[in-house]
Amino acid sequence: VNARPRPWRRALVTVLAASGLALGTAAAVAAPGHPSAAPAQAAAARAAACNPEASSLRPSGAPQVTSGSFMAKIRTRGYLIAGVDQSTYHFGFLNPLTGQIEGFDIDMIRAVAKAIFGDPSKVQFKAISDAQRISDITNGTVDIVAHTMTITCQRLQQLDFSSVYFESHQKVLVLKNSAATSLASLHGQKVCATTDSDSVTKIQQAKAVAVQVPYWTDCLVDLQQGDVAAVSTDDSILDGLAAQDPWTKIIGGALTNEPYGLAISKQHPEFVRFVNAVLQQMRTDGQWKQSYQHWLGTPVPNPPQAQYAD
Amino acid sequence: MTASVAVKPGQQAPAPIARSAWWRSRLDGATTPTRLGLLLAVLVLFSLAWGVLAGLTASQHASAAADVVAVSEPLSLDAEQIYTSLSDAGATAASAFLSGGLEPTAARQRYEADVAQASIKIEAASALAGSSADAAIGNDLAALSKYLPVYTGEVATARADNRLGFPLGAAYLRETSTLLSGTLLPAASDIYTRESALLTSASAQATGLPLVVVAVLAGLGLGYVLLRSSRWLARHTHRVVNYGLLLAALVGLVSLVWLAGAFALGRADLLHAQQQGSVPAQAFARAEVAVLQAHAYESLTLIDNSGDDIYQKDFVAEQKLLGPGPGTLLGAVEASTGNSDVAAQAQAWFQAHARLRGQDNAGAHADAVQSAQSGAAATTFGKLSATLTEGIGARQDVFASSARSGRDTFTGLAIGMVVAALVMVAGCAWGLSRRLAEYR
Repeated sequence: VNARPRPWRRALVTVLAASGLALGTAAAVAAPGHPSAAPAQAAAARAAACNPEASSLRPSGAPQVTSGSFMAKIRTRGYLIAGVDQSTYHFGFLNPLTGQIEGFDIDMIRAVAKAIFGDPSKVQFKAISDAQRISDITNGTVDIVAHTMTITCQRLQQLDFSSVYFESHQKVLVLKNSAATSLASLHGQKVCATTDSDSVTKIQQAKAVAVQVPYWTDCLVDLQQGDVAAVSTDDSILDGLAAQDPWTKIIGGALTNEPYGLAISKQHPEFVRFVNAVLQQMRTDGQWKQSYQHWLGTPVPNPPQAQYAD
Repeated sequence: MTASVAVKPGQQAPAPIARSAWWRSRLDGATTPTRLGLLLAVLVLFSLAWGVLAGLTASQHASAAADVVAVSEPLSLDAEQIYTSLSDAGATAASAFLSGGLEPTAARQRYEADVAQASIKIEAASALAGSSADAAIGNDLAALSKYLPVYTGEVATARADNRLGFPLGAAYLRETSTLLSGTLLPAASDIYTRESALLTSASAQATGLPLVVVAVLAGLGLGYVLLRSSRWLARHTHRVVNYGLLLAALVGLVSLVWLAGAFALGRADLLHAQQQGSVPAQAFARAEVAVLQAHAYESLTLIDNSGDDIYQKDFVAEQKLLGPGPGTLLGAVEASTGNSDVAAQAQAWFQAHARLRGQDNAGAHADAVQSAQSGAAATTFGKLSATLTEGIGARQDVFASSARSGRDTFTGLAIGMVVAALVMVAGCAWGLSRRLAEYR
């Protein structure tokens, strides 16, 4: 075990954890309840009715920038502001060879920019950590988040999501010589995940010790340095990590289904419908498959079929 | 010859001062040869005591001055260079990752020169630290020796992953930045702080007054005793000049003047070294450290690529520390050197940085990176950093030459004092033994 002190990281993790906690509490307090019903009952009713795979708003035909809409506002500004990941290989990563942020998530954003401006380059990418995804949407720092973000009922109380654009499954990454076969077999050992990701909860449920870091690549650093026994998260992210270190392997059956959506503020339902129209175009005109093949390889599956709440 | 001095009856009466009654009655009852023998013993004892006191004073000041020149000053210089080269290595490694594509050859060479400089200085400081009074410095140096290879290993891993196009490289770079700012830089800064304190106290010891004042007073006292002795001899032996005592008095005077003069000159040199050398050099060094730190934060904010983040807050904190203005680091530079260029250059950099942040926050990330790497921010930072580096060097030269000349004024002083005391002993012995011989 590497016993080197890492006060900075520990402090950062603590700060992030604390701010996440504060945010969660604030959100819980601010959660809009039905005026005539008790808030707890309303939340329970919503949770019962919640289906993450079919939670979004139906588009009306092809994407159109209507006057007075949020899209028109973005067009006036001159660029779309997108919160993205810059450390998840193949989904959203800063390519050190080009200095550009690239990946499957980024292709989704480029398509949205193209639909607004007719030019996929009119985007300001803001690299954010997992812990910043919800707050940056709710406080309006970014217009949209494309960040391997799972649609969950809990998150749906704070933000809206597009229709599902990718399906992944939670698995476990270990070193090639590890005897572990699943998350359950890592009972009592250190397993890495990013701060505030749902993986943290799943690791704790499996009675393993969750080590929280800002980015997924930090988990691979810890795994390579022997500070953790495994990394647990979506297979899409783990594939990207495994591609950077041939001495690792992915184990475990699909623990859960993780439907990814693009996150948008609840204040802009017209933008949710607009983005869903863009995604629908990509599913049908082959763009989705093309991007999948470019970043994730073959065989290329069919895109997840869109389901809507309305 | 059996001549003896008659004892006056009146002197047998009780002495007016009780304190001196005992020895005065014994002396008054004694014969002249006994008195001469006693006087000889007292003069020899006093001369030896003077020799010990003056020699001790000289060697104390000489060793404090030598300590300033040979240990404290080079150690704090080493610590300062370890700190600046490590900070510069970190900032260079970070900015090399900023560009995209292959890292520029110049950046790589600068990083490697920094690491080489740091390890040479760690070795040099370790060799000196054995003579240092502060044991914590040894622990800091051990931490530096232990983690510098870990640091360079992580930078190499980051570079290798970067070359493969993997985002893992950026994660290793973050790791190196944590190691640098969490472990390596605090150790270097601790050595610098401790060694600067030791330098100040060694300097104070070399220039301190108390021991010298005691020695000079003792020397004057001895002169008075010699004067009284020769007058007593003149009265009792009917010889105007005792050449032995005269020699002793002259040698005593010369050694006293030498001691006081060497001390006055050495003290002036050492104070000059401090006021015109180490104090401004430390002010420059503190400012440079903050500037290098802020520069690394500028790069890390751009690498982080998420707008005004935690690193930008760190930059602003360093900017606040730098000033300029009273109570700030640049204020201290201006106060101790009268140099106002530094403040103007820092302002120019801060303005360029503010424009860079504006560009980045308005979506022109590439323009901001360009400014940080070769544009306005890079140029203004380069000027400021060069001025500070030059300032440190020039002031350290002033310190070194003044402190050396201060140390050199003490050369041979301690030996000189001992030799002088022995000559004085010999002079007294010779002068008085000739008188004593007259009674045999």
